[in-house]
Amino acid sequence: MNKESFSPSLDSQNLSASASGVANNKSYAVKYLCANCSSKVVLIRGDPVRCKECGHRVLYKERANYTVQFSAR
Amino acid sequence: MSETKKASFHTLEREEYFANPPDEQKYPLLRDAVAPHIGSFNALTEGGMDSLLNLAAKEVGERVVFDGDDENLGNRLAIRVANVQLGRPTVSANDKTTINRKVFPSECRERMATYRARMVLTLGYSVNGGPEKFESRDVGMIPIMMGSNRCHLEGMGPKDMVAHKEESEEQGGYFVINGLEKLIRLLIVQRRNHPLAIIRKSFTKRGSNYTTFGVQIRSVRPDQSSQTNVLHYLSDGGITMRFSWRKNEYLVPVMMILKALVETNDREIFDGIVASEGSNSFLTDRLELLLRNYKSYKLTSKQENLAFLGEKFRIVMDAPKDMSNEDVGRLMLKRVILVHLQDNTDKFRMLLFMIRKLYALVASECSPDNPDAVQHQEVLLGGFLYGMIIKERMEEYLSNFCATVRTELQKKKQSLHLDDPKIMQRICPRINEDIGRKLHYFLSTGNLVSHTGLDLQQTTGYTVIVEKINFHRFIAHFRMIHRGSFFAELKTTDVRKLLPESWGFLCPVHTPDGSPCGLLNHLAHKCLISVKKSDVGDIDSVLNQLGISPAGALANTPQKSVVMLDGKIIGWCTHEIAQQAANTIRQWKVTGDARLPQDLEVGLVPPSRGGQYPGLYLFAEASRFMRPVKHLATEKEDIVGPFEQVYLNVAVTPDEITNVHSHVEYSPTNILSILANMTPFSDFNQSPRNMYQCQMGKQAMGTPGVLTHRSDNKMYRLQTGQSPIVRAGLFDEYGLDNFPNGMNAVVAVISYTGYDMDDAMIINKSAHERGFGHGTIYKTEKVDLTEKQKPGDPTLLHFGFGPDNWPREWTQTLDVDGLPLVGAKLSNGDPIAAYYDSNSNKTMCLKYKSGETGFVEEVKLLGDDSLGELQKITVKLRIPRSPVIGDKFSSRHGQKGVCSQKWPTYDMPFSESGIQPDVIINPHAFPSRMTIGMFVESLAAKSGALHGMAQDATPWQFSETNTAAEYFGEQLLKAGYNYHGNEPMYSGVTGQELRCDIYVGVVFYQRLRHMVNDKFQVRSTGPVNPLTMQPVKGRKRSGGIRVGEMERDALIGHGTSYLLQDRLLNCSDYTQTSMCRTCGSLTATQEAQSTTGHRRGVKCRRCATQLEKDSFSWDSPPEGMWQDAIGNCFVGGDDTTTVAIPFVLKYLNSELSAMGIKMKYNIDP
Repeated sequence: MNKESFSPSLDSQNLSASASGVANNKSYAVKYLCANCSSKVVLIRGDPVRCKECGHRVLYKERANYTVQFSAR
Repeated sequence: MSETKKASFHTLEREEYFANPPDEQKYPLLRDAVAPHIGSFNALTEGGMDSLLNLAAKEVGERVVFDGDDENLGNRLAIRVANVQLGRPTVSANDKTTINRKVFPSECRERMATYRARMVLTLGYSVNGGPEKFESRDVGMIPIMMGSNRCHLEGMGPKDMVAHKEESEEQGGYFVINGLEKLIRLLIVQRRNHPLAIIRKSFTKRGSNYTTFGVQIRSVRPDQSSQTNVLHYLSDGGITMRFSWRKNEYLVPVMMILKALVETNDREIFDGIVASEGSNSFLTDRLELLLRNYKSYKLTSKQENLAFLGEKFRIVMDAPKDMSNEDVGRLMLKRVILVHLQDNTDKFRMLLFMIRKLYALVASECSPDNPDAVQHQEVLLGGFLYGMIIKERMEEYLSNFCATVRTELQKKKQSLHLDDPKIMQRICPRINEDIGRKLHYFLSTGNLVSHTGLDLQQTTGYTVIVEKINFHRFIAHFRMIHRGSFFAELKTTDVRKLLPESWGFLCPVHTPDGSPCGLLNHLAHKCLISVKKSDVGDIDSVLNQLGISPAGALANTPQKSVVMLDGKIIGWCTHEIAQQAANTIRQWKVTGDARLPQDLEVGLVPPSRGGQYPGLYLFAEASRFMRPVKHLATEKEDIVGPFEQVYLNVAVTPDEITNVHSHVEYSPTNILSILANMTPFSDFNQSPRNMYQCQMGKQAMGTPGVLTHRSDNKMYRLQTGQSPIVRAGLFDEYGLDNFPNGMNAVVAVISYTGYDMDDAMIINKSAHERGFGHGTIYKTEKVDLTEKQKPGDPTLLHFGFGPDNWPREWTQTLDVDGLPLVGAKLSNGDPIAAYYDSNSNKTMCLKYKSGETGFVEEVKLLGDDSLGELQKITVKLRIPRSPVIGDKFSSRHGQKGVCSQKWPTYDMPFSESGIQPDVIINPHAFPSRMTIGMFVESLAAKSGALHGMAQDATPWQFSETNTAAEYFGEQLLKAGYNYHGNEPMYSGVTGQELRCDIYVGVVFYQRLRHMVNDKFQVRSTGPVNPLTMQPVKGRKRSGGIRVGEMERDALIGHGTSYLLQDRLLNCSDYTQTSMCRTCGSLTATQEAQSTTGHRRGVKCRRCATQLEKDSFSWDSPPEGMWQDAIGNCFVGGDDTTTVAIPFVLKYLNSELSAMGIKMKYNIDP
């Protein structure tokens, strides 16, 4: 195989999200909590919903960490 | 007042219990309450080869298929289910990442999944009678009952339960199907293996000679499936047997069955029925006829009869081709006739007994048995029904296997051989092996799909959702027992009657009013249901000792007592001996001697003149109602059933025991259900009020233990629940204090503001502000992107934002991942979730649609079994519901009321000690309803609050000599209050003392789940139906409320005709339309075009005459000529007018004209 014949695959489906490097700049990772072991899980778009530690199938979204204030009467 | 149970708040105990959940369960009564469900499910798999599933597989037997034609059968393949195995719930095999393979129910609830485990059938097959080979087949995932022996939670204590995200005292007994909790409800069916004498009009419909008389027996096989046989009496004296098989009914002369069962002769049959009553000519005449008539069949020997039956039933029984007629006959007898008995001699004797009972019924020697009485009923348990369905699916599996083999043989004659070693691998994948899916369908819909009907009378409504509005409702579901939806349509009310036989088994109070009244009952709280057959040991020798002659004795007559155990005749004796035997057996079973089980039912029916057919009937089988009472002679516990209870004398209290009594109740409250027991001082109330409370207790907002880890559509939570001061003794034993259901409120009975009329109640505004009755609703919204895409397509929709331009204000409630921010406030129209289509690169969002603001409480990302990307989320919304005017409240005495006003505390009346009521109710709520229990509760809770103690409110604690008023009055006196509970009060407005003393006390109030915010409906204008132009209906669509026939009548009656017109026309489908005054037509009018010399206007085309083209000069057109839209010219038809009509009239007119009917309207003036 010579140098000229090599062409990188542009088929984004076969690349991991980080390798394709496009379209993911908007969805920077959000942290979730595993329902089973409470460890923090980072999901990138396209990742299966699984806890990285225990493989549990339910994740909770963390409470918003910035101020959420409603009219306090 | 008895000092046995001292009511207490158990505050420290409860704190400790929740801080450190113990290893051992604290409330065993809760587990007892669901024991029938779990026990019956466990019986499916318990006992190895004797488990119900394996017995069912055995009962299904083998199926046979041949590869030849009709003459030359060819190779013979026999296949059967050799073994059934049920696993425990685990994650699916293609999930490689999970470490803990166990699946727990909490996960299924969260993920909207089903709690299920794998079932494996071991198929045994042999070719041409050769050695049997085995093959295991996976038949899908079977839903598993929570807390059963297949569940991971089995035997866990509170500590482990909490660790697994369950209630600390989770008792199970239900299934988790798609995240919903489902329960197979208990059904009442006829008592098994006991022949009932029945007079029923519908029996005559069976044929020309059929009479109303019959003897019916519901025989139950060891695998708990049943088969009903009925003997019909014909007007010519003959008897036929009726049974239904695969939903078809068959009638067979009873003589044929008798002669096919055993090698017998007419003499033996005659003696077996007439016995010593040779002089009874009624009997001998009919029997002679029976025997003589059968001669016409010319069948004498057992073989001939069997062969005859076999020939007729070969197709019906689906018998193998190589089976002889005789064997088919035998098969039919085994499968259909008195299936609870294995031995043909036993069946023969039982049949003779049934014939004799039928003749006794016809001759009025005995009375008909009441099938609506609990005496002749038992329970169809959920687990057993589940097993019956699995059995039928196994049967279907084998049949499908054979059918597939046959079609494969036809398709490729050469390629398939029955002795192919790989035949299983070739055939099995071609049939539908997913039994689990069918059970899933059954549980999620409650529909029974069955080709046999399972000997049941309904096909729908077997399962219910276990609603967890509060714990009362939740636990009541498990004690609920239904008569069957077949009886709901019955016009007669006999089945709904409360019969004295039900005493102690079914609660007389806890049944809904309205259409299910008396059909939907609840078990008394001490009522047990047996889930397996009791071991009767060597009962034959026990009976021998008691002087009972064997079953073969020629004694089939009501003059003697038959001794029967679970529908098998085991002997005969005189009535005197039967009486002695019954007493002795009872003694022995209570003391445990002679290895007799305590729950053996000893039903002695003594001889009577025209009463129930006498005999000594023993029952030890499963599914029976049972309950504990105290046996007086031995001072020990006796378990009695409804059959024997009719003939026992059970004293209700120890005081009333006389020498006729053999038993005494442990407590009179044992007859009440769990909920009925919770009504305080229910013995003071008028009985319907206690029924109402049983309904309303189930609608109160409660406190769920586990709020997260559940995804119910709607959950209710009472924020400020309290422990009731006045509580029944059983309240703590059932652990109901862990789920507070209401609040203790200071209640004044006074007509104060005018806002308390007609069951309205006033709430003190300050009490409301302190949190009285504050509640919350949790709603779960599910967003599943897979539902928006076609199944099988690649995933195109993804949660999150796409690269396109989407409204930036979405980020107010949405996070960068497109999911809502936890804690965000949502109003109508705010986005809940954003997703984008990677195909069209468009970002879309789902909106929150509700007038009420909610807050995002939880966002859960739900994974699936395959490792796909995020497609499903649930969002739990919290909607605060502080009490508002129009919300419903109730005390625990069937006294419901609607909040009519939140009255400022400075205007509320106050007592001398400065107490102001939280709630004011009107005195008129009492005289007609007679809920004296509420007064007593008020007194009791008042003194309880003053002395700082809980009060026992168990019913039947007080008497005429020791009254409740006196007991609590003395307590009040000691606290320095008025003996009667009245207090002088002062008007909050003027400060003047009110002219009479006011009854003030403390009553426990429930906040019911019916709230105006869910119900209010207003509309001025809005959406209309496009066809009729009338307003649509339904609150959700902002529709109107119908002014119906009766409302119309009322308005007419009042003479308010303008209002009537406003409702029926102006606010509905008011339309203006043109009409021709000449011809009275609604449809012929049309708009004329504006032309020179003629203005626009409405003309009647019908009354106009069309002018031919060129018949006039355009320079001087005829007077009054007009043109339509396409240029036709007309003259005349000017006499039109505009009228106001309902739009539907136009619609009606056009519908009628489509049928060729003309409508003509006369228009005046």
